[in-house]
Amino acid sequence: MDASRYAELFLTEARDHVTAINQALIDLEHASGGDARDPLDAIFRAVHTVKGMSGVMEYGAITSLSHAMETLLARVRAGQEALTPGQVSLLFDSADALERAIESANPAEGSALDVAGLVQRLQGRSGPDETLPDDARGLQLDLPDGPGVAIEVTLEPGTILPGARAQLVLARVHTLGTMGRVVPDDAEMMAESFTGHFAVRIETDADDEQIRATLTAAGFVRDVRVVRTPRPAVAASETNFDAAWSNEALKAPLQRYVRIDLRRLDHLMNLAGELMIVRGRLAQQAMQHRDPALDDAVTEAARLIGELQDGVLGGRMVPVWQVFDRFPRVVRDAASLLGKEVEFTLEGREIELDRSLLEQVADPLVHLLRNAVDHGIEAPADRVAAGKRAVGRLTLSATRERSAVVIRLRDDGRGIDRARVLRKAQALGLVDVERERLDDDELARIIARPGFSTSDRVTELSGRGVGMDAVYSRIRTMGGLVDLKTVEGEGTTFSLRLPVTLAVIPALLARVGGEAYALPLSHVRETMQRRGGCVRTVRGREVIVIREEVLPLLHLRDIVGLPREEGAPCHVVILEIAERRAGLVVDRLLGREEIVVKPFDAVQGGASCFNGATIMGDGSAALILEVSSLL
Amino acid sequence: MSHSVLICDDAIFMRTMLGDILSQAGFDIVGEAETGAQAVDKYRELRPDLVTMDIVMPDMGGIDAVREITRQDPMAKVLMCSAMGQQGLVVEAIQAGAKDFVVKPFQPSRVLEAVQRVLG
Repeated sequence: MDASRYAELFLTEARDHVTAINQALIDLEHASGGDARDPLDAIFRAVHTVKGMSGVMEYGAITSLSHAMETLLARVRAGQEALTPGQVSLLFDSADALERAIESANPAEGSALDVAGLVQRLQGRSGPDETLPDDARGLQLDLPDGPGVAIEVTLEPGTILPGARAQLVLARVHTLGTMGRVVPDDAEMMAESFTGHFAVRIETDADDEQIRATLTAAGFVRDVRVVRTPRPAVAASETNFDAAWSNEALKAPLQRYVRIDLRRLDHLMNLAGELMIVRGRLAQQAMQHRDPALDDAVTEAARLIGELQDGVLGGRMVPVWQVFDRFPRVVRDAASLLGKEVEFTLEGREIELDRSLLEQVADPLVHLLRNAVDHGIEAPADRVAAGKRAVGRLTLSATRERSAVVIRLRDDGRGIDRARVLRKAQALGLVDVERERLDDDELARIIARPGFSTSDRVTELSGRGVGMDAVYSRIRTMGGLVDLKTVEGEGTTFSLRLPVTLAVIPALLARVGGEAYALPLSHVRETMQRRGGCVRTVRGREVIVIREEVLPLLHLRDIVGLPREEGAPCHVVILEIAERRAGLVVDRLLGREEIVVKPFDAVQGGASCFNGATIMGDGSAALILEVSSLL
Repeated sequence: MSHSVLICDDAIFMRTMLGDILSQAGFDIVGEAETGAQAVDKYRELRPDLVTMDIVMPDMGGIDAVREITRQDPMAKVLMCSAMGQQGLVVEAIQAGAKDFVVKPFQPSRVLEAVQRVLG
């Protein structure tokens, strides 16, 4: 079978299973005695399914690793081995390796990750396969069901090319009667991890002794077991591979969703974007012809193109849990490394965000999560001393607020030490030495500076002074905002406000000189004709006074390097981000338009006040101003 | 009466070695072939009791040769000779009708065991 067709499906499903494994491992770690049953079962099922799928894909490393994990789990489940913390941590390591193997696997090269070491460690705890008693063997292999008898064959340990040897045995099975299903399937038998243990169902008149003699003659056969009454297979519908594809849990979402190659979606998005541009051009042309029939057709086309665009955009939206569900593991690892106790809660998992935005926000969030565990949440003893619960609380939530998605990370830790940041900032000359207190915005601006760190120690997780600036700049390039609220002794909240999608935004188009520029409408509070009287100069800086509010005044001409035209008529656009405002002087306003954002990487060392470009109806390009860089 | 054997391998070294192992064990080497096409022709001509077949050979590989030989004689007994790491090809050969296989480097005892299984 052409496995490459299933590569994408495999990747998506396998990722889900790894997430499930991690989640269940966390439960397992906190469970005691009988409570361990459910997480153990969940891990076992997920590992088994991954093993089956990877066998088909011929991803040897994944198959052997999941097989080794499954073997250990089978023994624990069967009560033959008690679960130690060391084993749990080994399983965590294995889950990580499994994830890496899954991410690096591809149909052309298979899965090349070296997992031999881990497999050995897993086997070291569970003993080599051939010492397993029959019961444990049974757990590893679900006998195929159907009419006739089941034959379970075990090859000699160390048989050369066990897959080919198994084929010889099967060729002999074939001579005895009508052969039914074989487990594992061909692909798994051909995998390096194949241990020479397989089963087949056959309708035959031969007695047990004949069967045994015929099959043993194939060579290297250690044991042939004939099972006449079908055993109730261990959760057969969930654990065997064929059933896994048709199992209800998988079927339900598959009926409602079609998985699409992201590149195909991006291509559609680009085409829809081009159509939007054509729509603009069409409307401009139609206006010159003043033909009512043409106008109608253009209006209708414009409406349909708009709907098409909305539809394609909707296809890019994914629920945040696709990324968030990995975070409990991140928090757990950070907490256990640092000896903290953290209760982590996810809220708003179902909120949808543009896929590319969600992927981009993952790294900054991981950084903030680790930071919160490391610097925010105190050690249990310190918390108790401060009159708090020993277990720290960390909450990550997503909410939809108008045209934005707000992701909030809230901890109940010690909060940011303002005095310390202030001293450090003063020592670096960032803040006036006479200042006595920093507000949240100033605090944010200081900690977002590259290389700023108040930490004296460097841990594996944080304290190197890299990170916060990367978080801020990443969110800014995404067209988002970071807001920081911190109260000493009570905790810190980071709010990331992100556009729902990057692809299309409403913008105000303005002109200076011969060029058009786009200002994202989300940051435009109002526009006005410039009137001489309201512009003043305060301490050498131009300001504009509006309704008794004094705002700094910027000139787009300065920003793009054009000479000012004193006395010429012009407009002022009031830009606003949260509490920060400024006036921007432009020559002329061109109107409001939905623009298709074509992001570009800022030129190294160049002005970073533009974060993209758009093509307008007349085919000319307009740069998109990154408002947050101006305020 | 000793069994007749046709040895098919493109390397003289391998043909010589296999020939020595088998003749010392009392087999009668009735012919040798260097290519798959030759193997098919010689099989038709000699009707040996056993064929040893290298997988990779010029001018019709071993697998196609097995397929052709078993098509002409469903009772033909062919033993595949494979290098390590050719499991997929070995399986293909088995599906084409080969009765057993040995893996290089050959140990005489392994070869003879396999031959016994095929003839048995």
